[in-house]
Amino acid sequence: MEVLHNLAFGFEHALTLQNLMYCAIGCVVGTLVGLLPGLGPLSTISLLLPLTYSIPTGGALIMLAGIYYGAQYGDSVSAITMKIPHASSIVACIDGYQMTLNGRTGLALFSAGVSSFIGGTVAIVVLSTLAPLLGELAFLFGPADYCALMLLGFLCVSFVTTGGHMLNGLAMALIGVLLGTIGTDVNSGAQRFTFDQPFLADGVGLISVALGCFGIAEIVKNLDNRSQFTPFSGKIHLLPTWAEFKRIIPSALRGSTVGSLLGLLPGGGPTLAQFGAYALEKRFSKHREEIGKGAIEGVAGQAAADEAAARTSFIPLMSIGIPENAVMALMLAAFIVKGIQPGPNMIGQHPDLFWGLVASMWIGNCFLLILNVPMVRYLLSVFKIPYAALFPSILFFCCIGTFSVNNNLDDIYITAVFGLLGYIFLRLDLEPAPLILGFILGPMLEENFRRALLLSRGNFATFVSRPISATLVALMAAFVIWQIVAYVRQTRVSVAA
Amino acid sequence: MKDQQLVRGLVLIAIALGFGIPSSTYQVGTFSRAGPGLFPLLISGVVGSIGLVMLIRSRLEKSPPLTFKVKNILIVLAALVGFVVIAEHFKVALAVVYLVFVASLAGSDYSIRRNLKICVVLFAFAYAFHAFLGLSLSLF
Repeated sequence: MEVLHNLAFGFEHALTLQNLMYCAIGCVVGTLVGLLPGLGPLSTISLLLPLTYSIPTGGALIMLAGIYYGAQYGDSVSAITMKIPHASSIVACIDGYQMTLNGRTGLALFSAGVSSFIGGTVAIVVLSTLAPLLGELAFLFGPADYCALMLLGFLCVSFVTTGGHMLNGLAMALIGVLLGTIGTDVNSGAQRFTFDQPFLADGVGLISVALGCFGIAEIVKNLDNRSQFTPFSGKIHLLPTWAEFKRIIPSALRGSTVGSLLGLLPGGGPTLAQFGAYALEKRFSKHREEIGKGAIEGVAGQAAADEAAARTSFIPLMSIGIPENAVMALMLAAFIVKGIQPGPNMIGQHPDLFWGLVASMWIGNCFLLILNVPMVRYLLSVFKIPYAALFPSILFFCCIGTFSVNNNLDDIYITAVFGLLGYIFLRLDLEPAPLILGFILGPMLEENFRRALLLSRGNFATFVSRPISATLVALMAAFVIWQIVAYVRQTRVSVAA
Repeated sequence: MKDQQLVRGLVLIAIALGFGIPSSTYQVGTFSRAGPGLFPLLISGVVGSIGLVMLIRSRLEKSPPLTFKVKNILIVLAALVGFVVIAEHFKVALAVVYLVFVASLAGSDYSIRRNLKICVVLFAFAYAFHAFLGLSLSLF
């Protein structure tokens, strides 16, 4: 019953006129920007993050969360209608686009919308019961455990985002950590890698790194590819028949469960959840023979998992204080800018923020369902804007975003440098998402690493003697060994062939 | 074209050296009492080793060639740098016009009329940010 009480308390905070407005703005703007080709949730959040700096804390967090799941939904819409694969909606392209080819776009969008709603609702129940419990557990975490958890997160994120080329992702995460060490060392006050430049004393700005890698580098990549999308112009008939509607529910419930669980894991989140739910539908759905050819289940399951994971991935961030993927790392940065350190103490110290945010997620869910699903045909008109007109504007917003952090035009130079770096990385097939995670977690990793070794008097055994970190280290070892075995097998096959 | 894996390894080693050499000049300290140089040195060591592994792998297996198109990234960078210079010395409005007209050189087609339209829209945005969100960047 305490949960209900807490949720009621949260709704009290989320249902103020201002917060409702921030939530609505976040959902709609997130969906719109997420729809645009080449802009996934990561770019959307990096672009819009500076805008929230001038908004009160609670509203800013609510709006950012709205932007996140709005972008997630917008992504799946562009995947269903035009097969524009973003990193976060690859699975929606399979059955969703097939349904569009069969002339059932409206049904696909409706299934995705309703399933997202179900997924989000289930995830909120999970979130409000599990986050406080996990917060209790987090008090047991020592510096060594935090270190191990972050490293495991790097491994998992590297694996998930690079599709098996884990070494590439790991290198990027560690480069991110190195970039995070630029500036003044907190413990000794020594200047590191600043080359006596005063503007580097506070380190490199997150917004510069994020906008460089996800804004500018992505724009140039899209320009190089010259992919032209023809806007979707078919008819959209949204409402399903009762028989069709009945097929959505069980898949959505299965997807929500899988999504909620996979959203909790380090490196987890929407992408992993979609694949998990899709695989589950293929195996257990009543209509499994239709999946892959445009089945409702193929859309519903993954959409529910997607939204569920997008919400439960907040749990590790808010209860332990460690983001599990790059999007959550950006959220962590937003919390810190507002002077809030997410972690076991957050629920106790800022109950209004925590429960308000949880409640706002459900309100955001409703906005997505009642605002965006019926409006989808109007939202799709953003595709009528040609990319040639779009990208100069996005560049302009990158400039404004960078400027607004410190009111300093010179910061744009740094963004430009990271644009170049990000572009080089993209061309080398090095994914920038782990870099952002490493960059944001880097200072925390160093701090905990040094503290752990200080406590153990320089003895590395501390990382394997504590139960939590020993488990995490064992998981990492298993993961690495599995990767090496897989690599050796693969090369053997290719040599034999 | 150069082998992507090979270049990737070289870039990683270069980054590792770029961070590793300076950090070895900082106080390294011992593990029990780490100095500012220890952690970056360790991490750049790992990045460098990953780079080495990639170099070795590039000898063993074939990887896709490196495709690097210079034109678009240069146009975009020129647009950004010019934006800052003009905004600092002249007017922001002029910088926006410059940004749009230079950046759109990278697009698939070029239309002066469309560029003017984009400028007007961006002016409106910049004005709204200035007036309603308190951004201290005024157009004129």
